[in-house]
Amino acid sequence: MKAIGIHSIDYLVKQLPHPMAFINKNFELVAASKMWLEYFETKMDEARESNLLHLWNNKEDALWEQQLNKCFKGSMEFGVHYSTDKSGKELWSRWTALPWYDEAENIIGAITSLEDIGGQLEQEMKYEKLESLLREQSEITKVGIWEYHLATDRLIWSEMTRKIHEVPSDYEPKVDTAINFYKQGHSRNTIAMLVHNGLHRGTSWNEKLQFVSAKGNEKWVIAAGKPLYKNGEITRLIGTLQDISEQVAQEIKTKESERLLRTLIDNLPLNVFIKDKDSRKILVNKAECEYLGVDDPSKLLGKSDFDLYENNVAQISRDEDLQVMKTKKSILGKRTVSIKKNGASTSFLTSKIPWLNLEGESKGIIGISMDISEIIQKEDQLRDLINVTAIQNKKLINFAHVVSHNLRSHTANFSMLLDFLIKEKEENEKERILGMLSKASENLAQTLENLNEVVAISTNVNLEKKSLNLNQEITKVQESLAGFLKQHQVKIDNQISDKVHLSAVPAYLESILLNLLTNAVKYKDPERIPEITLSTRKQKEHIVFNIKDNGLGIDMNKYGNKLFGMYKTFHNNKDARGIGLYITKNQIEAMGGNIMVCSEVHQGSTFSVYFKDEN
Amino acid sequence: MKIRSVYIIDDDSITIFGLRKLLDKLHKNLAIHEFKNGKTALDALTCLQQQNKPLPEIIFLDINMPVMDGWTFLDEFLKLSHTSTVTIKIITSSIDIRDREKWKSYVKDAQHHIDFITKPIYELDLVDLQVAS
Repeated sequence: MKAIGIHSIDYLVKQLPHPMAFINKNFELVAASKMWLEYFETKMDEARESNLLHLWNNKEDALWEQQLNKCFKGSMEFGVHYSTDKSGKELWSRWTALPWYDEAENIIGAITSLEDIGGQLEQEMKYEKLESLLREQSEITKVGIWEYHLATDRLIWSEMTRKIHEVPSDYEPKVDTAINFYKQGHSRNTIAMLVHNGLHRGTSWNEKLQFVSAKGNEKWVIAAGKPLYKNGEITRLIGTLQDISEQVAQEIKTKESERLLRTLIDNLPLNVFIKDKDSRKILVNKAECEYLGVDDPSKLLGKSDFDLYENNVAQISRDEDLQVMKTKKSILGKRTVSIKKNGASTSFLTSKIPWLNLEGESKGIIGISMDISEIIQKEDQLRDLINVTAIQNKKLINFAHVVSHNLRSHTANFSMLLDFLIKEKEENEKERILGMLSKASENLAQTLENLNEVVAISTNVNLEKKSLNLNQEITKVQESLAGFLKQHQVKIDNQISDKVHLSAVPAYLESILLNLLTNAVKYKDPERIPEITLSTRKQKEHIVFNIKDNGLGIDMNKYGNKLFGMYKTFHNNKDARGIGLYITKNQIEAMGGNIMVCSEVHQGSTFSVYFKDEN
Repeated sequence: MKIRSVYIIDDDSITIFGLRKLLDKLHKNLAIHEFKNGKTALDALTCLQQQNKPLPEIIFLDINMPVMDGWTFLDEFLKLSHTSTVTIKIITSSIDIRDREKWKSYVKDAQHHIDFITKPIYELDLVDLQVAS
């Protein structure tokens, strides 16, 4: 009976629609439902022979044992069982253990049942996980959430939203107080309008605004919001609030340093450019734009030197770029000449510096060039000036020499004659010496007059030049020399066109013409009637005036270098003062011109005066 | 050495007057020849040499003269072959150191006696001359 009883219990239990098992006080399985056995993936035969504690082979064995022991003493026990199946899937179960009584109300074991709570737990955990993820995300991105219920006029802020506002967790926000957190002016007006539009027109928003926290900290936030509908009616507004102060600060910093750099390179009095590997410009400053005649850098970006300069210039530049990129060594302060497509040439002092990436490979070049055209021009001017100064200096020394010599010769004569006079006793001889003294005095006066004439020219360098008709000037001089010319039966052949104009100081031109014309007659060949030919020709930047005579001529080998010197005379002519040509040369040079002579003894001379052609 | 003939090569009539006056005081009946520039003097000297006539014992020579200056004259004169020695007195108002240097360069290798006298000329200079001769 008993055996049949057990058997029948066994059979009944096996069919229970629930994982259930009967365990005796020895932790042996007495009976179990099919579902229970399936749960533990065991068979009745195997399970019955072993201690259940071994079957479960779990860390929670001790707990099981404890709880089952309590149950054997009459209490009802609960617990959660965790295990993994063969595929590694997590299994969560809640178990319940009740004391198992026999007919005599004696506890003979425990009845346990299992309830699969995997699904339920998963749900809970998912929620928990999601929440923590959200929290974390909100923490990292500093995005707070808010929600506003129209019906109840309730505004709910998430933890992060509160944090951004810097308000305590018990702070109760309202729509109008929330709006007041935005900075007065543009930000507050904007958010008020956006919320209003959201509520009444159903528009959503996303705006970068300035914000002042409860603690008075100014922040940049992105405020976003959108309405939610129920049955076609707006019931809620939800939105986010993101603190982007750091990003904005960073952005401002980057922008500021970018602007600083840009301001710096744009205002450098240097042409700055950056070129990529193919020598195409990827950055140019203002000075470079101005030099290349464009108003915006974008018009130069992507262009190479071949697009901007003459081919050979571009090739030289490209070769330099390649050299710098290859060797990674800078070219510093090299004198270069750039010729633009329109032919305009500019001298530069150019430096090219390799532009390296983080791996130290060349990715282009950084170029800096300084326009030194003006400096070079100044240098040339300076060199010219030095030459002029050297010539002037030489002239001055020569002049000083002449002056000292000439004045000294007169004073020497004076002192000699005075010495004679003092010692002389004869009245007749005294008279003679006095006559000599007055002659010496005349000579001195003449010399001083001559010197004064020279000095006058040298000090009046800036006399105003005028455009003068050459033939008119020649005619004037001829008229003033009319008697002199007639006396010597001079023939003048004037081949100069009436159109020829010279830029000259009127007084100088007159003096020059007078001197040259007089000389041509003064040093005539006594055997011949003086013939003078006047002509002009154009030579580069000069108009050359030629005056050719058939006079005595000058031995150029002997006197060529002394011809225009002071107090140099070469003919035994009593009128020769030795100053005429010196003055003529000075006057011509004072006007920026030059004089040359071509002569042969007994043939005649040709003086050529070079006037600067300023028309 | 008895002085018979003197050349004065100078374009300044006052200097000539002075020299004549001083020479006249020292040596009566002295033959004094005047030349206005180096060229005419050189021509005269060349003529004397060709005719084997005696050269003047003393030549007073100015530096700054038209046509042929003193230095050029000296160059040309030294090229002539001479049997006698001539005393050449360079008379100048120049105090330019370069003229003095130039004179020194002539003194070195000339067979003639070349002096350098800076104007003004007083008696003393010609007394020296008398002693020297």
